[in-house]
Parts: sequence; C-alpha cells; structure tokens
Amino acid sequence: MSDGRYLNDRARLYLLFFGAVVVISAVILLLPYETVYVRDEAYLDMFLVTIVVCVAVFFLGTLYNVLIWMHGKGLEGTPEGRLLRLLVKAARFVLSRRFRRIASVFAKDALYLSKLKDRSVTRWAMHLLILGGFASMFVLDLVVTFSLDFLKYQPMIDDTGWAKLWLRDFGFDLVGFLLLLGLLIATGRRFVVKPKMVRTELPDAASILFLLAVVLGGFILEGMGIAGEIPGHQHDNAYSFLGYAFSLVMPSDIGQHYDQAWLLHGVMSALLIAYIPFSKLFHMIATPVAIEADKMLPEVGTA
Amino acid sequence: MRKLDISKLDVLALMRYDACTRCGECTATCPTGGEAQDVELVTPRGKILRLKEFYKSQYGMRAKLMGPKEIPEEQLKELASRAYECTICGQCKTVCPAHLDTIEMWENMREFLVANGLAPLPAHEQIVKSIENYDNPWMQPRTQRSRWSKRIEKEVKIKDATKEKGEVLFFVGCTAAYDPNIRDMAIDTARVLARAGVDFGTLGNEEGCCGSTLLRTGLLESARSLARKNMERFEKASPSVIVTSCAGCYKTIRQDYPKIGKVDARVVHITQFVNELLESGKLKLDERVEGVVTFHDPCHLGRHNKLYDEPRKIIAAIPGLKMVEMERTREEARCCGAGGGVKTAFPELAQKISTLRVEDAERTDADFLATSCPFCYQSLKAAIETKGSKLKMMDIMELVRLSCVP
Repeated sequence: MSDGRYLNDRARLYLLFFGAVVVISAVILLLPYETVYVRDEAYLDMFLVTIVVCVAVFFLGTLYNVLIWMHGKGLEGTPEGRLLRLLVKAARFVLSRRFRRIASVFAKDALYLSKLKDRSVTRWAMHLLILGGFASMFVLDLVVTFSLDFLKYQPMIDDTGWAKLWLRDFGFDLVGFLLLLGLLIATGRRFVVKPKMVRTELPDAASILFLLAVVLGGFILEGMGIAGEIPGHQHDNAYSFLGYAFSLVMPSDIGQHYDQAWLLHGVMSALLIAYIPFSKLFHMIATPVAIEADKMLPEVGTA
Repeated sequence: MRKLDISKLDVLALMRYDACTRCGECTATCPTGGEAQDVELVTPRGKILRLKEFYKSQYGMRAKLMGPKEIPEEQLKELASRAYECTICGQCKTVCPAHLDTIEMWENMREFLVANGLAPLPAHEQIVKSIENYDNPWMQPRTQRSRWSKRIEKEVKIKDATKEKGEVLFFVGCTAAYDPNIRDMAIDTARVLARAGVDFGTLGNEEGCCGSTLLRTGLLESARSLARKNMERFEKASPSVIVTSCAGCYKTIRQDYPKIGKVDARVVHITQFVNELLESGKLKLDERVEGVVTFHDPCHLGRHNKLYDEPRKIIAAIPGLKMVEMERTREEARCCGAGGGVKTAFPELAQKISTLRVEDAERTDADFLATSCPFCYQSLKAAIETKGSKLKMMDIMELVRLSCVP
C-alpha cells in the first residue's frame, strides 16, 4: 500500500466524517426552536453548544470503533479505504432489490428480537420496551421537530391542536413510559433480583442508571412545566399522563427552576449520546450491523 | 511493548465483539465456563469482554490520542489458556439473542492467539507435531491406518480408492482408524455399506488427517496444507459421494474445505447416507434390537451442521428399539466435553463435562447411550466406565449393523 493511497483514503474518510458533522451541527444550530419554552436564551445556547460537541464526539467514537473493525482480515487496503468502500457498498445495497431482505432481517432479529422471545418472555419484553421506547422516541422526535420547525404545522403548535395533544403530549409520554418500564425491570433485575447470568460492572451500572436518569428527568421536567404553567404545558393536561402525575406532587412555584432543569436534562441527554460509542450501549449500532452482515453472507454452515 | 496484531481477527468477529450485549445468556449454559467450573473468563461473555478490552486499549480512540496501553503478559497468557478451555460446542451460538456466530468467533480467536504467539498450548503441540509427522493426532504410523479393515477383509469388499474407482469414498477418520476401542465404528460402517450393496472404497493408508484438530486449535496454515493434500486425493479418487462417520471430519470437509479449495463430490455424514439407503429400500433393518436408547447429538453434527433428524430416523427404523430423549437434546444438547482440544489440554475438565452428559442420559433410564461421533463416543464411554454407570455406549452404526447383518 503506497503512502499516497493511504493518505488519500484517510483524507477522503475524514472529509466525509467532518462534512457529516458540519451538516448535522448546522441543522442543530439553525433550527428556530420557537417551541422550546426555556425563557433565558443563554440556556438554549449552552445546550446547543453541548449537543453539537456531543454529537461530534458520538460520531468520532463511532468512527474509531468502526475503524477497529476495519483492521480485521477479510478485506483489502487500509482501514480507511476499506470503510469507504464498505460505505459505498452498503449504500448500493440499501438501494438494491435485496433491501427488502435486509429490512425483514432487521425487523425480525434486531428490532423484534425473535430469538430472545423464545428463551425468556420477561427478558424479551424488558429489552423490547427499552429498545422500542428508545427508537420510537427518536422517530417521534424527528417527526415533531420537522413538523414544528420546518412545516410550521399549526395543530402541532397550538395548545389544543390534535397533533400537539396526541403526538407531543400523549405520544412522548407513552413511549417514554414504555422506556421507563423497561428500564425499571432492568434495574430491578440487575440490582435487586440479581440472577446468576447478570454480571454488574461499572459500564453496566453506568449505562442503565444514565438512561434511567435521562428518562426520569424528562418526566420530572414535564411535571415542572405543567405545575409551573410554563407555556406549552397546560395546567390540567392529562394527555401528558405521566408528566401530569408528577406535576400533582410539585409546588406551583417550581416553574422558576424550569430553565435550569431544562438545561440539566438537555445536557444529560447530549452526554448520553456522546457516551454511546464508549459504552455497552454501542451494541445498539453494532448488533444490527453484525446481524445484517452475517445474514448477507452465503450460508455454508447448514446441511 | 507487545502490540496485539488484530489483523488475524475477522472483520465480522470484530463487529461481533462490539455487538455482544453482555446479557449473560451464554454463561448459564456454557458447559465449560458456566456449568463445569463457573469461571467467567471461560464463558463466551468473559472471553469477548477481556479480548475487547485488550485490543481497544491499543487501537481505540484513547490509544489514538494517548498511545497504546501495555497489556501485562500474564493477563494475555491467562486469556489464551482460558480460551482453550472452550469445547467450541456452539451452545452459546444457540442461545445468543444477538445472533452472534460464536463458533466462528472462537475458532478465529484461536487463530489470533496463535498469530500473536500466545498459542497453541504446550499440551496441543504434541498433537500438532504428530499430525505434521504422521498425518494423525495419535502418534501412530501411517502404515497402520487401514489396519482396522483386516478384520473384515474376507467378509467385506473395500476398494482401494487410490487405485480403483468407486461410487462412494468412505473417509474413515483418524480416531476410528487408530483407536483400538473405536475401530468397531469403522468396521460396522463398512459392514453396513456392504450390506446395502454400496460400491465403496477408502483411501487406505493414504488417507490423511482431515485437519479438524488443527483448525479448532487455530493452526490454520497447517490445516490448509492437510486439506489440500486430502483434496488432491479426493480428486484422484473422483467419487460421487464422500461419506464420513466422524462428525468432526464431516464438519471439516463440508464446511472448511470449500473455503480452501474445491470438493466435487457430495459430502455426507453416515447418518444422512444410511437414511438415503433406508428410504430407497437398499438397506433393510429386519433384525430386532431390544432395548431403550437415548441419543447424544454430537456438536459438530447438530449445532454446527443442523443434522438432528437423521440419527433419530435411523433409530426409529430399527425394530424393537425404543427412543427416549434426554432433557437437553438437539440444539440444546450438552456437549460431551472433548472437543476443541479440551480433552487433550484439560482432561479433568473434559471428564467433568462428559460425566454431566452421562448423568443426563441416566435420567432417561435408557439401556443404551448412542451417538454418531467417535470423539463423543470415546469420552462418553470413558465417563460411563469411570462412573460405573449401567448404560452401554453404542455407535449408531453398531445399532444399524445389529439390525441388518445377521
């Protein structure tokens, strides 16, 4: 491998990487955030800086993890060159007719967790609640952000609009509740029941407690918004059923701490994103990729 | 400072190390790490986490920013030794919710350990030398390989496939050819094939070790060289079908040889072939074999090749024989403890596991414990004898022979 080729591969890969980070950062920074109810804009700015840095760290960590894969045997060229070629192949694959097969494998093995269901319904339900809750929240977040900041969809903005009540209030609470339920089962299993197969080391405890803190923090923040009658949080809004339940035990003057709580929740969420590639949570990315890669190879192992 | 060379780990294996969710599903049923000795580092999760920790400390983002970390030599040696306490039975592959192909991972991990000078273990080196010098792991001369057939030379016509073309090539395998206690497996197989009128031959003393032992211990280059030699022999003999009675040879020739070269013949295990003979009416099982039998699924046949029904169909076809299943059967079958070089390097551990399997069989109240792999046969028979069990160890071809050869 010539030095020129190696440098060329590196340059192209890092250009692609920084390009992606710049585009995503630009989108994050340029969104109008008209429906973010934080009153002091300095908090919003602090959050935006944090999230941009965290997203960059997430991508950098993921890139380094994937580059480690590329050191392995089975491919030719520099790790950077291999990754570039694989990205092109993956893009072609997604656009090919075989995409249906990829999608069905992804749905059955990576999302529905078919194999785990056969072994233990409890563990399957727990994992499905966490994964499903997490994935649904991500999708819902994209839909809501797009319809608010790009489409300016009025029913999503108005306090009594159907989309505001059913998607932003009820929808987020529902998926958050599912996620919380899964996390509580996982926490109970790991720290109370302690079955023999569960081994709790710092990375295991940190991941689950981090997730739990972010999810619970979201509901507490919503409760503060409802109790403190922050704009966008109607006092008797039972659509946000869990946030509303939290609001019932909060004093009405709690709204004065809303901005700080909002920033804390935002920063924790951003840090969680940055933490993913360096934690066991990276399996969220690696497991589906490994399952897909395995299934795409010709099967020689069965009679 | 020793920097680990991860270029011998497969790209897919490296993905799989990251894909492990640390759930521990594999630890509960791992015969060596979980059940026999409860040592986390021997379990699939333990091995994955330790190796990942090592290579990430030298190749991860922190290593890029602050330089690679030195890994204490004794920790590397500990991992290497523990990695060889695995029988590569594939139980972890069955249970892994993340669909990790752990069988490939362990074989590849051993290849990596060998490439980094951490393996093979001293106990395996003798076997390696024996295979390299004698073409078999039993330190036996090549000239003795076909000795098993002398006992039946008047009764059964076995062609010399190196000189005479035959439809079927019976690949005997080292264990059945050399171990005097296992030779009956080869003899029974030959008698059954002859009874069905199959035109078959063997490579005689020319047959070489299939290379399974070398592959499972991570010595890929030596294994490839053996495989190439055998493939040349196959090409010269040009049979339509290659039949193996050893589950390890079957896996190796069927799954590993195509990665090295081309095998034109159809490769089948004897249980598949006998089923075909039964279905076509070429083989009739008329004699009654009275008794209750339970079947031990060899890992190389079952989990590695998904052959579960064939042996059971044969047992069902034998008049008088009643089949009872063990609690852990088919995909969930407990390993016999011998595979992956464990019996050679850790005989006490292997015996502990084979005793657990014999206890599984005893709970069925069967008279016979049958299997279709010489290696499983060898270790389970030893466990039966050590334990003083009333079970009788049988090879499935022995049962077939009792039913078809008066």
